Amino acid sequence: MSYDLRRADIRLKWLVTCLLATFGIAYAFGAWMVALYAGFRPATVAATYGESEMPMAMPPDSTMVLEHKMDLADFSETAPHRVDRDLLIQDTHVHVPMYGVIAAALSCVVLGLSLRRGAGLALITLVFAAPWLDFAGMWLTKLVSPRFALLTVAGGWAMGAGYALIAGIALWQMWGPQKGPST
Amino acid sequence: MILLLSLVTALLHITPTVVLMKRPDAVAAVLPDARTFVARELHLSEADARRLHQAVDWSPEDGVLTFYTGRNGDDVAGALMFVRVDSPHGPVEIAVGFEPRGAIRKVVVTKATVETKPWVLQAVRAGLTAAYEGMQAGTMPDGAGTVRATVGSMPTYMAERVDMGVARALAAYGTFYQPELMP
Repeated sequence: MSYDLRRADIRLKWLVTCLLATFGIAYAFGAWMVALYAGFRPATVAATYGESEMPMAMPPDSTMVLEHKMDLADFSETAPHRVDRDLLIQDTHVHVPMYGVIAAALSCVVLGLSLRRGAGLALITLVFAAPWLDFAGMWLTKLVSPRFALLTVAGGWAMGAGYALIAGIALWQMWGPQKGPST
Repeated sequence: MILLLSLVTALLHITPTVVLMKRPDAVAAVLPDARTFVARELHLSEADARRLHQAVDWSPEDGVLTFYTGRNGDDVAGALMFVRVDSPHGPVEIAVGFEPRGAIRKVVVTKATVETKPWVLQAVRAGLTAAYEGMQAGTMPDGAGTVRATVGSMPTYMAERVDMGVARALAAYGTFYQPELMP
């Protein structure tokens, strides 16, 4: 394959480095955001994406009224950040295409790495499968069982791992010690 | 490179929720005289939910409308409700406070997103929420019309979302809030 980052023009190496650095910043802030809103443990992810504990499967025959007294302090929202079905539909619509393009960009970097065909295929599969796993976990947590939060956690870590592997290998191959002459 | 970085910038366009005013502060702002509160949750029947949906194209989360009645001793200080409006840029939440006679006392925006916060704040600074004061059920809010001449297109767009939330609150209050039944 003629596209080889080890021997690529320095401008292409710099482009890939900038791209990886930008993705790295995005991933770091993404992790920070996850820590703020959903956490890294299956229990906190399940609390964020799971259905309400008292779902009204069917509306009552006549409007039902429940009342309880409150103080001003009771208005504080101590409950975890929750993503309901409407918001998850929107999140999926907005994020999945974005993750697809990020995976495509990382895959383009993989194509320029000196790797065995199988390893390249595995990395490309990893960067696409990780967000699938992430969102599949969110939907299954909401629709089937909170236990599927584990999938979302796994998907998130897989995204980070895929990026770290690709960035590490690419930076090493582009800027590390060269065996042959560089163009 | 510029195209790629522009794409990356677009990809990073995430919109986590930002609290503009904590709920207890919002309650104190819209019902300053209230000292004690009663939450009244209406689990809407199918017919009532349909009525509300036909009026303002809205179904409250989990089919539950929640009004909070504020009291100061034996006197009713007013009522309030929180309404969320979704948009492709993320949700915005408002608190709408009503005087005992049913007119809107005050509206505050309690939540936006990282992306929409500056637009919402611009619209509020241009007089958006002041435009709702005194409105009664049965009238159509047009806060966006008030700020359109002084702010850009995105603040106006967010003002339209806030209009939508106020319209929902007015419809819910006018249709379902029965002050004579309030404790």
